[in-house]
Amino acid sequence: MDYEFPQQLFPSFYNCGPPDSVLKHTAGKWGTYNRVKPVGGSGPVSSWTFASSHHTRGETWRHTEPVPIPLLSPKNHFVGYSTPPDPLDFTQHMQNFFEDHCHDAFGCMGEILGENFNFKSGRTLKYQKDSIHMWKVKNFLDMMKFKVCTRTYSSRPLEVYNSLLSDVVPSVPPELLSSLLHEELTEQRDRLLLSEASTGGALAFNSFSQTGSSLEHGCLIYPGNQGLDRLNFHKVVLQHQGGDSAFLDATSSPPLSHQLKGPIRQISSSSLFNECFTAVRSDRLCGVWSFSETKEPRLLQVVNTKDVVTCVNISPHVIGEVLVTSESGAANLWTIGKGMQKVREESSNLYFNAESPWRWCEFSAHPRVMAYADRTGAELTDIRVSPVSGHTLFRISNTSECRSGERLILAKYLGDVHPFHHLITTQYSAYIIDERFPCMPMLKWDHLMRSPPMFCHILPASSQSSTAKVLLGSHSSQEITLLQYSGGRHEPCFSQGPPQALLTPRNSLKHLPVQIPHRLDTASSRLSLPAAGLTCIQKKSGGKECLCVLQLTEAGDIFYQILTTEHTDNTSPSSAAEDEPLPTQAAKTTLQAPDSQVVASDAWSDDDAIGPSQAVTVAETPEKEQRSEAVSVDSFSEDSDAAERCRKPKQWLQVVINDDPEPDQVNGSEKNDVTPEGDKVGATKEPEVVEVAACGSRSHVGTNLQPSKQALVTWRSWLQKLMHKNSRPHHLPHFTVSTKGLLQLPNETRDPTEEQLVHQLKQDLRGCMSKRSLLSHGALSSLVTPDVVQVPNQVDTEVWRDQLSQRLTLSWQGEEAWRAWWEDQLGLNREKKVEALKRKRRREKEAKRASGQRMELSGSFTSSLSQSELDEFSDSTGWSSAASQGRHSDTEGTGLLSQRDGTPEATTPSTVQNDTPNPTPSSTPQTVKSQPGSERTPSSTQTGKHDSSAVNQRTRRRLADDRLSALFASQDEPLQNSYLPEQESTSYLPPPPVASPSSSSQLLSPQSASLRSLRVDLSKDSFGWSGFSQSLSQSSKGRPGPSQASQSSQPKKKKSRMGF
Amino acid sequence: MDHLDTELSPLEDLEKDDDTSDDNSSKGRRKSRLPLVNLMSTERPEVSGFRQSTHICLEKIREAMLHHRWHEAAEYMAFYPQILEDRTRTSAATNKELVWRLSTEILHHHPKSKLEDYNNIYERMKHSGVKLYLLVSLEHSFHLMLHGHIVDAKRQLSVAESWRYGKESAAQYQTIKLIQAYRSLLDYIIWCDKKFTHSDLPNFDDNQEMQNYFRQASVNLKEILKNPGVWDPFILSYVEMLEFYEDHEEALKVLNDYAYDNSLPPNPNAHVYLYQYLKRHNAPQRKLMKVLKTLHVLVPSHELMLEYSALLLQSEKKSDSEKVLGMVLEMLDFACWRRNLDVWKCLKAVIEKLQLQDDWRNIVSGKMSERKDWWPALHFTKFHASKDCEDPELMGVKVALVQILCPDLKCTKYTAGEGSKGQ
Repeated sequence: MDYEFPQQLFPSFYNCGPPDSVLKHTAGKWGTYNRVKPVGGSGPVSSWTFASSHHTRGETWRHTEPVPIPLLSPKNHFVGYSTPPDPLDFTQHMQNFFEDHCHDAFGCMGEILGENFNFKSGRTLKYQKDSIHMWKVKNFLDMMKFKVCTRTYSSRPLEVYNSLLSDVVPSVPPELLSSLLHEELTEQRDRLLLSEASTGGALAFNSFSQTGSSLEHGCLIYPGNQGLDRLNFHKVVLQHQGGDSAFLDATSSPPLSHQLKGPIRQISSSSLFNECFTAVRSDRLCGVWSFSETKEPRLLQVVNTKDVVTCVNISPHVIGEVLVTSESGAANLWTIGKGMQKVREESSNLYFNAESPWRWCEFSAHPRVMAYADRTGAELTDIRVSPVSGHTLFRISNTSECRSGERLILAKYLGDVHPFHHLITTQYSAYIIDERFPCMPMLKWDHLMRSPPMFCHILPASSQSSTAKVLLGSHSSQEITLLQYSGGRHEPCFSQGPPQALLTPRNSLKHLPVQIPHRLDTASSRLSLPAAGLTCIQKKSGGKECLCVLQLTEAGDIFYQILTTEHTDNTSPSSAAEDEPLPTQAAKTTLQAPDSQVVASDAWSDDDAIGPSQAVTVAETPEKEQRSEAVSVDSFSEDSDAAERCRKPKQWLQVVINDDPEPDQVNGSEKNDVTPEGDKVGATKEPEVVEVAACGSRSHVGTNLQPSKQALVTWRSWLQKLMHKNSRPHHLPHFTVSTKGLLQLPNETRDPTEEQLVHQLKQDLRGCMSKRSLLSHGALSSLVTPDVVQVPNQVDTEVWRDQLSQRLTLSWQGEEAWRAWWEDQLGLNREKKVEALKRKRRREKEAKRASGQRMELSGSFTSSLSQSELDEFSDSTGWSSAASQGRHSDTEGTGLLSQRDGTPEATTPSTVQNDTPNPTPSSTPQTVKSQPGSERTPSSTQTGKHDSSAVNQRTRRRLADDRLSALFASQDEPLQNSYLPEQESTSYLPPPPVASPSSSSQLLSPQSASLRSLRVDLSKDSFGWSGFSQSLSQSSKGRPGPSQASQSSQPKKKKSRMGF
Repeated sequence: MDHLDTELSPLEDLEKDDDTSDDNSSKGRRKSRLPLVNLMSTERPEVSGFRQSTHICLEKIREAMLHHRWHEAAEYMAFYPQILEDRTRTSAATNKELVWRLSTEILHHHPKSKLEDYNNIYERMKHSGVKLYLLVSLEHSFHLMLHGHIVDAKRQLSVAESWRYGKESAAQYQTIKLIQAYRSLLDYIIWCDKKFTHSDLPNFDDNQEMQNYFRQASVNLKEILKNPGVWDPFILSYVEMLEFYEDHEEALKVLNDYAYDNSLPPNPNAHVYLYQYLKRHNAPQRKLMKVLKTLHVLVPSHELMLEYSALLLQSEKKSDSEKVLGMVLEMLDFACWRRNLDVWKCLKAVIEKLQLQDDWRNIVSGKMSERKDWWPALHFTKFHASKDCEDPELMGVKVALVQILCPDLKCTKYTAGEGSKGQ
């Protein structure tokens, strides 16, 4: 029963004196039980149970949408500060004032001094003879209309005038103006951080419906208009749409509104016996309206006050009684039609000097006892006693566990929940105080809000087992926190579950489709305006409870969010049950709809994974495919988590494609992802904390909730309307110098055909842009195709028969060919050839012997070796073997390389092969073979070799030998991946004789360079090849130096010349 | 430098909000300045990457926990204990408390949390810092108590009781007292257990074991009652033990101290316990009425007021009836009694008794004069009439009284509404 007082309270200390505790962390009271007390039991130990003053679990309330939904379309509003103003910005504000209101700022002196200044350009008129020319200054002032750099753009005469007249011209002395502005800005900043005036909130709801009806309808009372100075009474209905989705409908009737003289700060409403009374507080004005379901709102009385009114409260006991407090410290009982009766007046704060004129007054359990509150505490005042005296209800310094700097923010009588309970909020905590046992809070929460809670709404427990809910709303940060508690009658109060933060409009944009930046700016600044009120609609239908939390912002926007309970024990069956009807319903709709359009849209709404192509096939053979369609929907709905995820983002598209609201299906699919989500949980936690094993699904149901189609549609139209309403803030235009016609070619030079061509080109360009295609040559109709540059003629190797050319031709065939050529040239393979020749002879002899003895003589005759034969042999056998060997090693090398180097740029055999034949397609081994030989056309180098002495030749040969062996040795080693630096390559190669650039060095240096570049080539083909070609071209010019050749970063275009 | 500022800001607050200050020297500034930018401010300039990342992590955990996304919070929490490595800062103790609170709260919402996990956290955090030891021990024992491990809880409390570390802060002192008191409460429970099991034994009264538990419990229970506060469970158990050993003097003294000590908060239960004790031991009516009189001053709406008025009605004194009338009328002022039949019946009885006197009208109108402008609105409107129709007995009592209490009430809709539900 209501009159019961708890038989046993939780133990607690009672501390007097100023609070000194400072909370150092942000965790509040998380993780603690606070106090426990024994419950029942008198016998054995096992019969004893305990109850804690904080229960770890409360009712689970979940959002149906991840975003709050706007209730009304956006209206214009005054642009306020989005961030608190900096008082030191007063110079900027002064400048704005001078610019925008120059007549107010300088009007008086301007008129007096005006005669003596002439701002007109041109010659001085007669009567202005004595006046001073000011056209220069005028020009400068004209520039003020534009955005210019104030540093570079200055006017010397103006500065002089400024120093001369600045203390005379302004009507208000700048010193005074600046200090006043500073003060004003400071106050505005404070007001934005904590808006005392809006305490209590300007949003109220009166329910009309009887208990038990399925629809919840009532009247929402809120301020409208730009300045929040129009009082609206709006009938709204909380409707259920199947399943558990509900929405608030405000479209049934237009609001009835009353224009007021000032902005509405607070709306207090209470209903007594089917009659609703609403008290409205403006800054210096209070009014009371009465209305009911059938009666339109009627203004009962309005009072004007001298002081700023801080609080207005309708009596829950007696019709027509209102409490009004003002900044003077007076609390008045206003009986409608009878006038004011002063209840209490305090010129100073109750318990200590908090320097605050803010006062608050609430009714209490007794109709003649008021709770009078200020920032330091609250007192119960019996108004029947003439010298008013009160006894403390709540006192900052007396209530246990207060913190340093804690102040009372809001007091509220919780008559609906418990006739003796009061809620008191501070910056840090919320207290439930029983007026029968003042000073000791029955319950204390740390609400963990960032800015102090100024609005609150209390919901009584709907049944014995459910909890009473406290909704706290803050002003500047828009936070809403839901607290739950029970008890207060037979049992002492205990809180249930940790505080739960609800959604805020300012965080909603990240759940909505992405906006383009300037729209995002507008929308986010609009959505992050401070809150101005909070109320809640509670509804219970069919065993499912539902809360609709409404929040008003300072722009007059109202957002609502709907929460539903989730019973902690039956999560999985319920989700399974909701799984069930989904496919059947889908199948039903497909059966009903032979029209392809409908089927397609249905597929979209059910499951995005079903593409339009599938829908088309359904349309073609409706009878056949329907079953499979339904089945596919079914299978998708039971899809894995991953599929669910990748499908989710596509839901954005639904808004565009299908506006048909089918929320229960969407909700069903949302429910689906709850269960798989929970299963995959298995995060490893630090052993110090706790090991998170497979976590149940309910712990994070709201994690990745997606807004429903309906919500998205609402938001989309809201944002569109907002953009439409919102005119962008005016900025000064930049000063621009007109450049038109400044740099223009004379007209007559233009050829009309060319102009036409240009026109044509522009059209083509535009066409390409609209088609989003590339502007390629084929797209241009007007332009003639440019001349194709011919590929240079193939080099006929037959023509070039000198030794150098031969060598170069051969070198294209690969290293082995080139090597064989050199070996040939230097006679290194002479022994091998002789050996091979001998073997050949022997074979021939044996063959002859086998065939007969006829050719014996001739065979003995050819036993001696000749140069020509040797040459021939080298051509036929030696070459081919070398070439084959080389080819083999080459592929091996590249294969190895590609194995080692994983980069895609690494040489693949194909590119190497492609590169080699292309530049010289004619230099195939066949042509080389058919070449008659070097002895026919002896080149200069060869003659030089012949001329040189034997010693010289031997030494040179040895040198060349060494070098080659070194080269080949280096090749036998595993191939290098990376480009070898200069020093490393020299370790393989002995340095060329720099002192005398002899022919050998001349000959060898390109080879070494080419070798090195070949090695490079293996790692990066084009790069290497270009280097190779470069080195060749360089060597042909007779410029030695491997260092130069090694810098093989030359463009590729030299390739075609190849030094030929 | 930034760090220094953040560390200093609470100190400035402390100086500014000297709550005992009474000087009105700074009255020039009208607007108050609340210490709004509290320690919860997000934009804390953090220097090093480690602190920054742990700070961000903490914010993420906080956000997730506030939105009851426990799984997400647990995932972040896996990384947060890194903060404990940050030992250089003065806030090391705070960090430990944070880790403890966050992890315990997450564990509370973990579907598969086991007692071992809790024990693990409590033990680790208990031994991680001296400042936390007592608080964590107490919470640990609470957890054990709530889950039925009373013996374990008692062991925890005994260990914590014997723990000593240097100088105690005021908060620590209180925690120690609470630990002692709760340990004694558990002693009492074991005492009850013994009493229950040994009740059939012959030499039951001088059971040494029970005596020991009683002695252990009584020391601390007596001690905690000296501190101002609410000690309902402790005093009840102490008084029960005293009653058992028939130490009535001590029991009465304890209850009287609890009820009448001015340093203690005005706990209505203290008077209720005293009243119940006296009633149990058949104390004279005078004593009972004295207790109820004090309770009436404290809580005029208390349910014992019905007993008080019954007691007063038994007496023959004229003034008593007047007192009862005032008392019952006051009870009817309160919202919770307005539709209570017992109170209305009591009011009827008082008035019937008063009607035996000559000047009863004066007495009634004297009591009603201060209520005459709002009582009709509180009890006798047509809305009340329509509601009271559901309870004919109450309706009958009210109808009988309306003319007596509010004779000025012309054309009362209430009376008219008796039959026709108002107009």
